[in-house]
Amino acid sequence: MGVTYALMEPKEGLGEVAVVDRAKESVAQKKARFERDAMQFTGQLYAAALRYTKDPQDAQDLVQDTYARAFVAFHQFEPGTNLKAWLYRILSTTFINSYRKDQRRPQLSDGEPEDWQIYEASSHTSDQGRSAEDVALDSIVDLDVKEALAAMPEEFRITVYLADVEGFSYKEIAEIIGVPAGTVMSRLHRGRKLLRESLAQYATDRGFNRGDSDV
Amino acid sequence: MIQMYELVRISCEEVLPSVILFIDNELPDENQYLIFTIHFQECPPCCQVMEHERTTIALMQKLLRNSCNEEAPAGLDEKIRRQTDQLAGQYQTEFFSQTTITELTMDGYTSIHVTQQYTEQVRHEFFSDE
Repeated sequence: MGVTYALMEPKEGLGEVAVVDRAKESVAQKKARFERDAMQFTGQLYAAALRYTKDPQDAQDLVQDTYARAFVAFHQFEPGTNLKAWLYRILSTTFINSYRKDQRRPQLSDGEPEDWQIYEASSHTSDQGRSAEDVALDSIVDLDVKEALAAMPEEFRITVYLADVEGFSYKEIAEIIGVPAGTVMSRLHRGRKLLRESLAQYATDRGFNRGDSDV
Repeated sequence: MIQMYELVRISCEEVLPSVILFIDNELPDENQYLIFTIHFQECPPCCQVMEHERTTIALMQKLLRNSCNEEAPAGLDEKIRRQTDQLAGQYQTEFFSQTTITELTMDGYTSIHVTQQYTEQVRHEFFSDE
């Protein structure tokens, strides 16, 4: 009765399931399948690699290494499952193993709340309509967004990117970066909050903040 | 079915910490969506919190998607193709013969003996780093 199942999105990547007998596949067939299926994501992987490395040359190398590993391991990929998520997982692992500048950097797990329920609103009174912070976000330019994102700690930067740009689910992100889903929730929430505050600061610093009188 | 759902009421204190899950489409099941949706219909303050959060997240997503969409450098695809060619060339193929023999023997009024033998070439491909 007026109740809608809003927001239920269709599952991704299940549209076309080709039957492949990977055991009998020749190298030439595997290569053709790889180029057809996996190589459609090069552009997206490059933009993601830029979030990891923050450097165009490193990002290009990272994508190339990712595709090298993906090709050699391609027989392990289960056709019909999420190829894009599989490639992102290889990208993430390759970055951590070979590209991260400070290899011994701790994974922030100490003190990171597994309990993701840090959403502060426990009453209705705090938010009334659009705040000045939100209005300021309207005047943000692309460069600000890139800088603000790049300045965030890696854990938050990558999680926000995978969720809010790539649209991966918590479970997919958990598999890509190799942490529990609860940690994804906490990182996503804190990352979004950090980014929001940071962008509001950019707007204020540039004098674009017009105050909230016009809304 | 709807009547069964409508028996379930949850409080604002239970709804508010999970607003994000509702917005991100990450509630555990469809039942939960119904329960939340009913709550938002009946509780304008919670609904306002949710709408505000949803608008802000949507705005942030729009900003992120518009700015983080760098095109891959021209030639990257070509480099990957060449790399794949090179890797494919490192696979070695060996052929060996495999012989299958089927033998069927029956004893009765008539005795039947079937012996079948065929040999096929089996191709085995493996990756070699050398």
